[in-house]
Amino acid sequence: MSFFKELTKGIIKENPTFVIVLGMCPTLATSTSVNNAIGMGIAATFVLVCSNIMISLIKNITPDKIRIPVYVVVIAAFVSVVDMAMAAYIPDLHKSLGLFIPLIVVNCIILGRAEAFANKNNVLNSMADGIGMGLGFTLSLSVVATIRELLGNGTWLGIRILPQSYNPMLIAILAPGAFFTLGFLMAAINMLKEKR
Amino acid sequence: MKFYLKLGFILLAFCVVATAILAYVNSVTKPRIDELKRVAAQEAMAQLIPNAEFSDVVIHLPEGASIPDSLVYYIATAKGDSTSILGYIFTAEKHGYSSNVKTIAAIDTEFKLINIKVIEQAETPGLGANCSSDSFADMFKGLLPEKLLVDKDGGEVKAMTGATITTRAVTNSLRETIAIVRKDIESRANTQPEVEA
Repeated sequence: MSFFKELTKGIIKENPTFVIVLGMCPTLATSTSVNNAIGMGIAATFVLVCSNIMISLIKNITPDKIRIPVYVVVIAAFVSVVDMAMAAYIPDLHKSLGLFIPLIVVNCIILGRAEAFANKNNVLNSMADGIGMGLGFTLSLSVVATIRELLGNGTWLGIRILPQSYNPMLIAILAPGAFFTLGFLMAAINMLKEKR
Repeated sequence: MKFYLKLGFILLAFCVVATAILAYVNSVTKPRIDELKRVAAQEAMAQLIPNAEFSDVVIHLPEGASIPDSLVYYIATAKGDSTSILGYIFTAEKHGYSSNVKTIAAIDTEFKLINIKVIEQAETPGLGANCSSDSFADMFKGLLPEKLLVDKDGGEVKAMTGATITTRAVTNSLRETIAIVRKDIESRANTQPEVEA
């Protein structure tokens, strides 16, 4: 498979949230506002690309039987390094993304891609896979967050869209709203797929 | 058997390398992070009481208290004049709806709130998370500790829509911490009339 194909498949065809259904926990938790969604997306993309590269590099020295614990160690160590380095050298960015960094460790997209892709492919393709999956994750998070923020708060990225008189549907911002939104979006995507 | 031992050692090797990297990064970044935190805390205090110098006082609480066993508050004195006390700054903390809500607050010498700022929270966005807004902080300005109760509990703090629990956490943590700080200040005033900065 070509580099470009690996890059684009994550965005729609193998979208991690809607098609592979990975990383539900951060999707539900951080899609309350578009701001949070983009923050989580960027932070996760960054870690995903780096962990894919790392795991692809060490795939030949990792015994098959203990690959999962090794991946967990690599990812957790990597996330901690990113967290500390960001806090020390780019505190402003850390302030806005810092909340999401510990959440990335439990993001199964990262472990999922390590297991399903990076340990079978070369470094360049693994990097492309990481970028594509990360972008797809960011995109789908933003879509869910757009709906939830608009219905639940009347704003988009903090900018007021619906008039002040609009009475916000608070449930959209609370946890059940995430399930509703996700359910409807997945149903719509499946319907489109079947029609084709 | 040998095979499994070998696996264990390989995993151990990975962990040792990872730990070494983490220890190194931590030793490099920790001083910087602490310094940044200190500066941020200083800035937050300067916003609450401008043109003041701060000196800290540590209160050791009796064991078994609900909050950590010591509490730090800061005496704010006018710049260049350490005898004129402008007020006191402290942080208060209590569990709200879904997170610990941490508030930094300034009180004057009559224990009336000058201003507050919620500095740490992860409450529901759109509901409890609004506690970090300025309009929420404004409600507390000028309140005496006796009036520090949510309106449903008979006080003067109006609970935010759909976020009574968050409002209550902030309000109660402030009231309880003021009580501790006040006791300490008053006992100091009795034992040594001149509070040394």
